[in-house]
Amino acid sequence: MNITIKDRELEVKEGQTVLQAARENGIYIPSLCYHDRTGPAGKCRVCVVEVEGMAGLHTSCSLEVSEGMKVITDSEKVLEAQKLVVNLLLSTGKHDCLSCEQNGICELQDVAYYLGIETPAFHMADVKPEIDDSSEFVYLDHSKCILCGRCIAGCNGTVVNEVLDFGYRGHEAKVICDNDVPMGHSSCVQCGECVQLCPTGAIIDKLRRGKGRPWETHKVQTTCGYCGVGCQIDLHIKDNEVIDITGKEGVGPNFGSLCVKGRYGYHFLNDPARLKTPLIRTNGSFREASWDEALDLVAKNLNRIKQESGPDAIGVFSSARITNEENYLMQKFARATIGTNNVDHCARL
Amino acid sequence: MKLEEKRSMIEKIVKRYPEKESAILPALYFVQSQDNNMLSEQDVKDVAQMLGVSESKTFGVATYYTMFNEKPVGKYHLQVDTNIPATLVGAEEIVAYLEKKLDIKVGETTPEGLFTLSTVEGLGSGGTSPTVQVNATYYERMTIEKVDKLIASLKSGEMPPKDVNYNYGTECGILFKNRDKVDSTSIKTYKSNGGYAALKKARDMKPEAVLAEVKDAGLRGRGGAGFPTGLKWSFLSKEDARPIYLICNADEGEPGTFKDREVMEHDPHLLIEGIAISAYAIGSEKAFIYIRGEFAWIANILETAIEEAVADHQIADLDIVVHRGAGSYICGEETALIESLEGKRGYPRLKPPFPANVGLYGCPTIVNNVETLACVPFIIENGATEFKKIGTENNYGPRLFSVSGHVNKPGVYEYPMGTPLKNILSAAGGVNGNLKAVIVGGLSNPVMRASEIEDLRLDFDSCINAGTMLGSAGIIVMNDAVSIPKIALRTAKFYANESCGECVPCREGTYSMVYYLDKLVSGNGTKEDLNALSYLCKNIRGLTLCPGGDAAVMPIEAMLNKFQKEFEALANHKLSQNKEGASYEYHD
Ligand SMILES: Cc1cc2nc3c(=O)[nH]c(=O)nc-3n(C[C@H](O)[C@H](O)[C@H](O)COP(=O)(O)O)c2cc1C
Ligand code: SF4
Ligand code: SF4
Ligand code: SF4
Ligand code: SF4
Ligand code: FES
Repeated sequence: MNITIKDRELEVKEGQTVLQAARENGIYIPSLCYHDRTGPAGKCRVCVVEVEGMAGLHTSCSLEVSEGMKVITDSEKVLEAQKLVVNLLLSTGKHDCLSCEQNGICELQDVAYYLGIETPAFHMADVKPEIDDSSEFVYLDHSKCILCGRCIAGCNGTVVNEVLDFGYRGHEAKVICDNDVPMGHSSCVQCGECVQLCPTGAIIDKLRRGKGRPWETHKVQTTCGYCGVGCQIDLHIKDNEVIDITGKEGVGPNFGSLCVKGRYGYHFLNDPARLKTPLIRTNGSFREASWDEALDLVAKNLNRIKQESGPDAIGVFSSARITNEENYLMQKFARATIGTNNVDHCARL
Repeated sequence: MKLEEKRSMIEKIVKRYPEKESAILPALYFVQSQDNNMLSEQDVKDVAQMLGVSESKTFGVATYYTMFNEKPVGKYHLQVDTNIPATLVGAEEIVAYLEKKLDIKVGETTPEGLFTLSTVEGLGSGGTSPTVQVNATYYERMTIEKVDKLIASLKSGEMPPKDVNYNYGTECGILFKNRDKVDSTSIKTYKSNGGYAALKKARDMKPEAVLAEVKDAGLRGRGGAGFPTGLKWSFLSKEDARPIYLICNADEGEPGTFKDREVMEHDPHLLIEGIAISAYAIGSEKAFIYIRGEFAWIANILETAIEEAVADHQIADLDIVVHRGAGSYICGEETALIESLEGKRGYPRLKPPFPANVGLYGCPTIVNNVETLACVPFIIENGATEFKKIGTENNYGPRLFSVSGHVNKPGVYEYPMGTPLKNILSAAGGVNGNLKAVIVGGLSNPVMRASEIEDLRLDFDSCINAGTMLGSAGIIVMNDAVSIPKIALRTAKFYANESCGECVPCREGTYSMVYYLDKLVSGNGTKEDLNALSYLCKNIRGLTLCPGGDAAVMPIEAMLNKFQKEFEALANHKLSQNKEGASYEYHD
C-alpha cells in the first residue's frame, strides 16, 4: 500500500496506523500517550495530522493507513493544535527540567523541542510537586504526570498486577495505587513496568536519582542473570558503574517488561562483598583461589565420596538462576557421570 | 447489615447483567445506602472483592462519579443545583440563604450532623428551578419561604411532600397525549388510550418493515446530534452472531434540558412501547435504560412500569434493565455511557469502531434518546406519512422544548419541529424582562443575541443556518439583567467540573478557561487574558477525544464574540497596568 506523509511517498503495510508508518520511515510525528505495547489511547491529542480530503484533525496513533492517503504533519493547523496541547501540559504541571531524571529522554520535552516551545504560554497558578517517595524502588511525582495512562495500561494489561488506575476526574484526575494510598503501602510488587512505560519524569527509578544524566551513560544489552527466562536488559553505565537497568523494548522474551529482581536487584554488582573468585575453606576460614584449583578440589572430593560411600551419598541441587539447558546438563552430570538420581532444584520449594 | 447479607444482595444485582462488572455502580449505591450515605474505604474494598475487580479500579469508579460520598455527610444532604438555568432564577440566593440559616459553608456539615450543604451541577430540573435535592428527593420551584418550611420540617424529622406542579403544554398531543390523565403512569391508563396497539401492529410486521417505516418517517435523534434514527439502525450488520443491545439514553445531562423526564415520569409505558418496537426492529432481546443517577424516583417509576408490562405479556421476548448513572454529564455521550454501563469510569472511547459495530460488551449496540424512542409508537401506529405531516422538510415530528430561565412559565412544551422560537417563548408565558440572549439547544451551543432570533425556527437545519444548533432543544432565556461574562464563567465551570479528564485539551483547557474567566469577572483580568480565552476556544475546538470539548468551547466562544464589549469592559479595567501583569503570551 502506498501513502504520502510529509510529501514522502512510502510503502506501508495494511492495518498499520499513520503513526506507525511514519515511525518506521523515520518521520517524527509527536506522540505522548501512544506506546507500541499499550496501543492507541487517543488521550493526549498531540499526534494529530491532517489528511487530504478528510475534514478536521485526526490522531495519527489511531488512524489506519489507506491507499493513496496524503498525510500532512506540519500545517499551521496541526502545529497550533500541538502547541496548545504542550502549552497546556507545561502550564498545568511542574515541568522545570533542570534536575528531572527524564531530562533528555522525556517525550514531552521532545515535543516541546520540536515545536520550539521555550516557556509555557499560559501562566496560571503555581503547581507544587506532588511526590510519593514511599516505595523502595519507584519514585512518583504526580505534578509531572500528563495522565497518558501508559503506566496504567501496563500495570493492568501487561504485568496484570492491577495496582494502578485513574482516580477522580477532570483536572483533578490522577494516577492512583489501590484506593489512593502511597505506592509503598499498596499492593505494588515494584516490577517497574510503569516506570518503563512513563513518557515523562512522573514515575522514575528511584535508585538512579542523582546518579547521572541519560547522556552521560552508555547502554549495554545483556541477559538478566536471575533466572532461566533470559529477559533482555539494558545496563545503563556511567564511569563503569551500572546506575540503572531497563527492559529492552521490542525483543523477546520479555519485550521490555522485567520483574523486581531483574530491574532493581543490581546492587550486588558493585558491592564490595561481591565474590569475584572461588573461595576455599581451610581450617575454618576462606581464602581466594583460582577456578582451576577450586574445580580440581571439587572433582577430587566427589570422586572420593563416590568411592568411599557410593554415588547415592552425593546429591545435586541446581539453581533457577541458570538456564533450562544448564539444568538439563546438571541432572545429566548427576545421573550419567556420578550415577545418582539425587537431583533437586530450588524452584521446587 | 452483615457482610454476608451484603454479598447476597450484590449477587442478586449481578444477575441482571451479562457481565459482573456492570454491577459496580448499583453495588456502590447499595453499600453506600447501608453506611449512612457514605462510602468508606472498607465499602470500596468489599465491592471490589465481591465483584472480582481491583481495588484501584473500584476506587477509580467511585471517585469518578459525584454521587458517591467518600466523606461523611449529614442525615440530610442538601444539594442545590447551581447550573445556569437555576442561577438565572435565584439558586445562588438560595445557597447564600442556606449558608446563613444553617451557619455552615458549602461543603460543610452542621455540628450536630443533621445537614450537609453542597452545590451540584444541573439536576435535569431547569424548568422547575431552583431545586434543592435532599438525599434522593427533589424539592423544586423553591423560594426562600419554601426553604424555611423545608428546613423546619426536616428538623422535625419529616421529609415534606414535593411540589410537582410543573408547567407544560402541547400542540401535538403525541408525546404528551397522556400528560393530563390521572394515574398516567399505569398500564391501565396507557392502554385505555390506545397504548401498546402499535407494538402489536409492529409484531405483525417483519422487523425490516418496522425499520423501513422509521427510516421513511425521517425521524432524527432527539439526544443532540439529530442523526437519522432509521439510518443508524441500518448500520447493524445483518450477519452477526453476537447479541444486539439497545440502550435508551435517559441521562438528560445537557443543562437546560428536562424533557425526557416528562415522558418517563408521566408516561413510562410510552417509552417502554417505543423501546419494545425498536428492539423488535433491530433484533435486540436485551435493552437498557441508562438514567441519570439523580432521577432515582423516576427509575422506580420505570421499573414498576416494566413489571406491569411484563405481567401484561407485552414484552415477553425483551428484557429491559433500568441502570442508574451516578453523577456525570459526560456519561450522556454514547461511548462514555457504554463504558459506564460496563462498570467503568465514564471515559469516552476512540471512534471508530462505532457502537453499531463494537458497543456494549463488544457487541453491536444502538443508543437512542428517550424522546427519539418515544416517537416510534406514533410512527408505527400512524405510518411515516402521518409523522411527516408534522414539522418542516427534513425535520419531522413533534419536539419537546424545555424552556428555562427568564420566562414566566418555564416548562416543557410539545410543538412541531420548526416552530418559531417566538411561539415557544409565548407558550412559556413570554419573556420575563427584556430579552438579551437565548441558547436554544442546551448549554453546549452557541448563544444567540435577541436580534438574531426574530425569525428563528426551531429545527435542526434552520438552527445550523442561523449559526447555532437545536441540540437537545433546551431553551435557556436570559434577560438584560444578566452579565454574560458571569454566565461564561459559570459555563466554563460546568464543563471543567464535568470534563472526564481523559484528553488534554478538554481537561486542561476547561481548567484554564475557568482561570482566565474568573480573573476577568473578579476584576483582575487583562486584554491578554481575553486573548488567551479566544486562543483556547479556537484551538480546543475539533481537537478533543469526544464532542465534550466542542460542547465546552462553543457557547463560550459565541459569548466572547457576540458580547465582546462586556468582556472588554472588564479587561479595560486593567489596561493601565503595566505589561508585567501579563499572564499569557500567545506569540509562536
Ligand atoms: C457530552 C455529551 C453529552 C450528551 N448527553 C446526552 C444526554 O444526556 N442524553 C442523550 O440522549 N444524548 C446525549 N448525548 C448524545 C449521545 O451521545 C447520543 O448521540 C444520543 O444519545 C443518540 O441518540 P439519538 O440518536 O436518539 O439522539 C450527549 C453527547 C455528548 C457529546
Ligand atoms: S517530565 Fe519531561 S518536561 Fe517534565 S520536567 Fe521532566 S524532563 Fe522536563
Ligand atoms: S511497579 Fe509494577 S506492580 Fe507496581 S505499579 Fe508499577 S507496574 Fe504496577
Ligand atoms: S505516570 Fe507517567 S505513564 Fe503514568 S499516566 Fe502519568 S505520565 Fe503517563
Ligand atoms: S473532550 Fe473532555 S469529556 Fe471528552 S474525552 Fe476529552 S476530556 Fe473527556
Ligand atoms: S499519541 Fe495519539 S492521542 Fe496521544
